Amino acid sequence: MTAQSATGLDLDKLFAARLYAARARPYLATALFALHTVESRQVPTMAVDRHWRCYVSPGFVDRMSVEDLAGVWVHEVSHLLRDHHGRSDRVARERELTGPGERLRMNIAADMEINDDAYGDGLVTPEGAVQPGKLGLPAGNLMEDYLRWFQLGPRTQELAWLDCGSGADGLDRGWELGPDGAHGLSEQQRDAVRFRVAQGITGHPGSAPSGWRRWAEDAFHPPQPWRELLGAAVRSAVSAPGVGEDYTYGRPSRRSVSLPGIVLPSLRRRPPRVCVVIDTSGSVSDAELGSALLEVAAISRAVGGRRDLVSVVSCDAAAQVAQPLCRAEGIELLGGGGTDLRTGFAKALRGQPDAVVVLTDGQTPWPESRPPCRTVVGLFPRRHEDGASYDEDDPDYVPDTPPDWARVVEIGSVPVGR
Amino acid sequence: MPTRTLYAALNPADPIPSPAQLDVAEDLLTLLRDTTTEPRPDTQLEALTLAVAADLPVLLWGEPGIGKTAALTQLAAALDLPLTTVIASVHEPSDFSGLPVVGDDPAEQGVPMAPPDWAVRLVRAGRGLLFLDELSTAPPAVQAALLRLVLERRIGALRLPPGVRIVAAANPRSSAADGWELSPPLANRFVHLQWTHDHEVVVRGLGGTWPRATLPRLDPEKLPEAVDFARRAVCGLLTGRPKLVHQLPSSETRRGGAWPSPRSWEMAMSLIAFATAAGSSREVLSLLVRGTVGDGPGLELLACVDRMDLPDPEIFLTDPTAGELPARGDLRQAVLDGVVAAVRNRPDRARWDAAWALLVRALETGAPDLVVVPATTLASLRREDWDVPPAIERLAGVVTLSQRADRAAEAAKARR
Repeated sequence: MTAQSATGLDLDKLFAARLYAARARPYLATALFALHTVESRQVPTMAVDRHWRCYVSPGFVDRMSVEDLAGVWVHEVSHLLRDHHGRSDRVARERELTGPGERLRMNIAADMEINDDAYGDGLVTPEGAVQPGKLGLPAGNLMEDYLRWFQLGPRTQELAWLDCGSGADGLDRGWELGPDGAHGLSEQQRDAVRFRVAQGITGHPGSAPSGWRRWAEDAFHPPQPWRELLGAAVRSAVSAPGVGEDYTYGRPSRRSVSLPGIVLPSLRRRPPRVCVVIDTSGSVSDAELGSALLEVAAISRAVGGRRDLVSVVSCDAAAQVAQPLCRAEGIELLGGGGTDLRTGFAKALRGQPDAVVVLTDGQTPWPESRPPCRTVVGLFPRRHEDGASYDEDDPDYVPDTPPDWARVVEIGSVPVGR
Repeated sequence: MPTRTLYAALNPADPIPSPAQLDVAEDLLTLLRDTTTEPRPDTQLEALTLAVAADLPVLLWGEPGIGKTAALTQLAAALDLPLTTVIASVHEPSDFSGLPVVGDDPAEQGVPMAPPDWAVRLVRAGRGLLFLDELSTAPPAVQAALLRLVLERRIGALRLPPGVRIVAAANPRSSAADGWELSPPLANRFVHLQWTHDHEVVVRGLGGTWPRATLPRLDPEKLPEAVDFARRAVCGLLTGRPKLVHQLPSSETRRGGAWPSPRSWEMAMSLIAFATAAGSSREVLSLLVRGTVGDGPGLELLACVDRMDLPDPEIFLTDPTAGELPARGDLRQAVLDGVVAAVRNRPDRARWDAAWALLVRALETGAPDLVVVPATTLASLRREDWDVPPAIERLAGVVTLSQRADRAAEAAKARR
């Protein structure tokens, strides 16, 4: 039995492919079934718009095999799940990219983000799928990164026909039904579908590849750039009530004149002392450590600290990096030695700081009790080659996590616009 | 020549510009201010209006200069409330906790804490919209005093009457210079609304046409229904997901934002009731609910609300031709799965047959691949003495489809 639409779209083949795609990627089933198919002779292959309609060319369905079509289904739905249209619009605004050429680049970059980990494991790579390797780019990156690394040129010439619709690059096409057309999903409905898919992945993390798991974790909580988080944590540690600023009766309030007979306190500001403890066992890149240190120095200066009030307690491995930086910044570097964070803390607390900032990879014992000042931990994630953060020889080994009393900011996590 | 003119204008020997010049400038300003408005749906303003109407403290998060004050002006006009703006950063803590005033005999009468004039005016009017702007640039001590005003509605010895509604605004902590951040207990008391600007609206507004939002009106006839709906939605979700009742924010990224607790669930419930009574869209409801209990629990609640819209499986099992099957594939599959699950829970011959009839109907009105899984499950529920219903013949296409997908799987395996 073959079902054909009036104009020749082989619906059976199309839906058999979707069924196969849903079987190969069960966690994407909700999203695949939420797509509304629209037959269109103007679209070269298959394309999606931002309202979750899927435009299908009858000729394309005839040309492709069922297993290839399944890959295309997953590819198209990935554009929507990863919000490529929204991210394209944001990138276009931020980097002021205009014109159809730039949107084509976004489409290619978005395709590379999907294609480098969408296939395999029961799903074949459809013919003509753009892989980053084809343009000489490394795999496993985000659309925003790919976008920086290539220009349209001879190597992308054969991709010029590529068109995944406005769902992939945010540019509305003439053949799309638009926001008022039938069977579109509203923004809230789209969020609901994406949320269900993300929930399915985080609920059964074993079955989904790491790329999708990462997506699911961040789908509704885009990680913020660590610089901002560290900045906010340090700022709030050094400017919290009672730290750098307090009421004092040592000087009369400026309002005392109007209230004879009343003693009002005045607000007095004491520049905050910040001590940075650096503990690293060489797994941290100099660039990351350096920029974290500079960030802390800049923030404590911005909240009224003076150079001489920022000090650094360094452990051996990091002293090499810290020394020139501290010289350049005019920061006092207090001794070295000791790979145990507890000694680092003890040394730092001797200067009675208002806040201690610890830059560490976390593979260390922590002090038993809460120190008498606020603590911010900049944590360098220690990842192995395969991206897992555990010890391969001993899968049960879990390093001590930073204690509850410290505010932890993970440094070096990639900011993802969702 | 321009340089000559400029020089001439700056030459002190020249006469001062005549008042006529200022009149011309006034004309130019009038022309610049001459803008029109056009109606345009504005979800964030609608959400703000509903939260204010529900008498919940709202915190607007937004970069400076994106029209928070303008929105508040429009809101005050819509709710017919006089607007009082207090710029928090230029005040001292005592402006909000009250200034001590020495009377004749402090030992006998105590020292009363006098409220500032704007508070007195607000209390005298009995109603109004109090906008606490620039919360994030105020020193921490002032913020502490302000939060007491927001939460306990007290200024010195005065208590704000119930007719006064309070809205606060803060800059996101990444752009706040002095680390304003809400502790979890405080964050839990606010409805957090992210205030963003729409590029198109700004460009069109600068071109002379600003948007005019039509604000929601509560429908008096819908009130009991709205309360019932809100209670069913929240209780329906929390019955099945007890973990969601109370979840302190754990990660650094979620600090200072909304999180679920019995208090915020109660707020969410009244917001659902208000949005239902006003007939607001799901977009508005989504902003409100996610701003009250956080993104994850908020989305689960919205999913729960969506499911409440789906038809009841029992209706289909009594009459397979009754009710409407949703057109959207994922919802349709959810309904079919629900029907099959209902048969599994209480299997009997009539229900099994009804489910087959519904699957045939689903096949005839929509995509066939959705029917495969429910049909397979339903077939496995068959008891020995049940005959295969004739309707199953018409599901032959589904079997073919399934086999075709199997063949594709084998082909894919061969290609690897």
